[in-house]
Amino acid sequence: MIIVAVIAILVLIIGIGIYNSLISKKNQVANAFSAIDVMLKKRFDLIPNLVETVKQYMQYEGDTLTKITELRGKAMGSNVSESDKLALDQQIGSAVKGLMVSVENYPDLKANTNFLNLQSTWTESEEQIAAARRNYNSSVTTYNNAVMMFPGNMFAGMLGYQPMPVLETAAEERKNVSAKELFNN
Amino acid sequence: MAVNFVISPAVQSVLDELEIQRKKIVSTNYKGWGLILGGILLAFLVTNFGGLIAGLLVGAAAVIPGGVMLYKISDDTAQYKSRFKREVVGAALSSVDQCLTLDPSNGISESEFTSSQLFTTGIDRYHTEDLVCGKIDKTSFYFAEVHAEYKTETRTKNGTQTTWHDILKGIVFVADFNKNFNGVTVVRPKDFGSSIGAWFSKNIFSVGDKNVVELENDGFNKNFVTYSTDQVEARYVLTPAMMERINDLNQRSAYTVSLSFINSSMYIAFPLDKNYFEAPVYKTLLRPDLLDDDMSVLGFMYDIVHELDLNTRIWTKQ
Repeated sequence: MIIVAVIAILVLIIGIGIYNSLISKKNQVANAFSAIDVMLKKRFDLIPNLVETVKQYMQYEGDTLTKITELRGKAMGSNVSESDKLALDQQIGSAVKGLMVSVENYPDLKANTNFLNLQSTWTESEEQIAAARRNYNSSVTTYNNAVMMFPGNMFAGMLGYQPMPVLETAAEERKNVSAKELFNN
Repeated sequence: MAVNFVISPAVQSVLDELEIQRKKIVSTNYKGWGLILGGILLAFLVTNFGGLIAGLLVGAAAVIPGGVMLYKISDDTAQYKSRFKREVVGAALSSVDQCLTLDPSNGISESEFTSSQLFTTGIDRYHTEDLVCGKIDKTSFYFAEVHAEYKTETRTKNGTQTTWHDILKGIVFVADFNKNFNGVTVVRPKDFGSSIGAWFSKNIFSVGDKNVVELENDGFNKNFVTYSTDQVEARYVLTPAMMERINDLNQRSAYTVSLSFINSSMYIAFPLDKNYFEAPVYKTLLRPDLLDDDMSVLGFMYDIVHELDLNTRIWTKQ
């Protein structure tokens, strides 16, 4: 009788442990995404300042600047899903990258301290977002392992937890790029 | 990178003087130890044939002068070693780079070593020396020899026996890191104990303020366990490129290195078997490879700044 009770208590403790672990891993994923969100907001906040600074010098890049401002407006909208926000960020990233390449044609802008600071902060934010995305993917992988592997899959089924997709890594992040290369691109 | 150093005529003349001093030290050491050992032997012989008192008197007549000789020469030896560090090694470092300085009597303080969080074991005995400081472009760095130990005591029938164990015997390298960060990230060698600890911390319960960071680089994870107070910041510091560079650096080291990123600085501990920047006593100073080992370790430390790309500062930390 005592042995049965001990086994039952042990099973209960293990069950509670697995259940809590699943909840904690799911929360960790949500937390990891909110870290990306914070970084994205920080990056989007840089855009108005960046646009204001460069438009005084770049006479021929009006379309790009308008596009960047529009994309930012969409990304900052209230009804944007998480995946849309990330897709918009990638578009903004590409557009700004193009803008940075065009800077070569504007020597006065290249010498502007405010622009240089913004450029550094922008690149820093890229690194921070890349780190946040890697953290998110790591959390998702841990969560997916827990959801798909025995005995977590039994509880996951009961809780209705499904495996989540990891964020695709941008081609630039997959490469072992040095900071210098990022800057020059 | 092999560093190019020049032994100037001034340094060569110092080496010539030191060589004379070294020969005197060696000869005095031989004489002193010869007298002591000879005296002990003589004391045994005389005790056998002429009694204990006679043996002790004869032995003391040889052992005491031998001891005095060794005592007197110990000051000369310390002065010889100190002069070698200051005037030979110091000059060789300056010839590599004017910014490089050697301070033999200073090192990395025990409090800094502890606060670097490179190791968690409590320190019972600590010694540091040979602080080398320099700056390459934007990156300031310094390194020093450190010997940190802890003791264990076991009870035997004759009392308590103390055994000393190394926490680190080697070099601690500190550089200004190229990114700003607020948290603490520590990269420690992976062994059986740390693997179990990491698994426990990840799956059961995390002790302390740092959690295990699961990174994507398999080679890196094979050699190291990473802990951090901030999961995102750990990845901001340990980018895929940085992990590759640390793997390369580790492969060049005899033993697995430990790293910590704290207060916007990077600490690297290199366990080593040899004591560097020391004057040889029983080997001549007048040989071409005299400083090769010392300069190769300097080159290794010097390279870290380039290999880890610490000078590339496009971030807000200029």
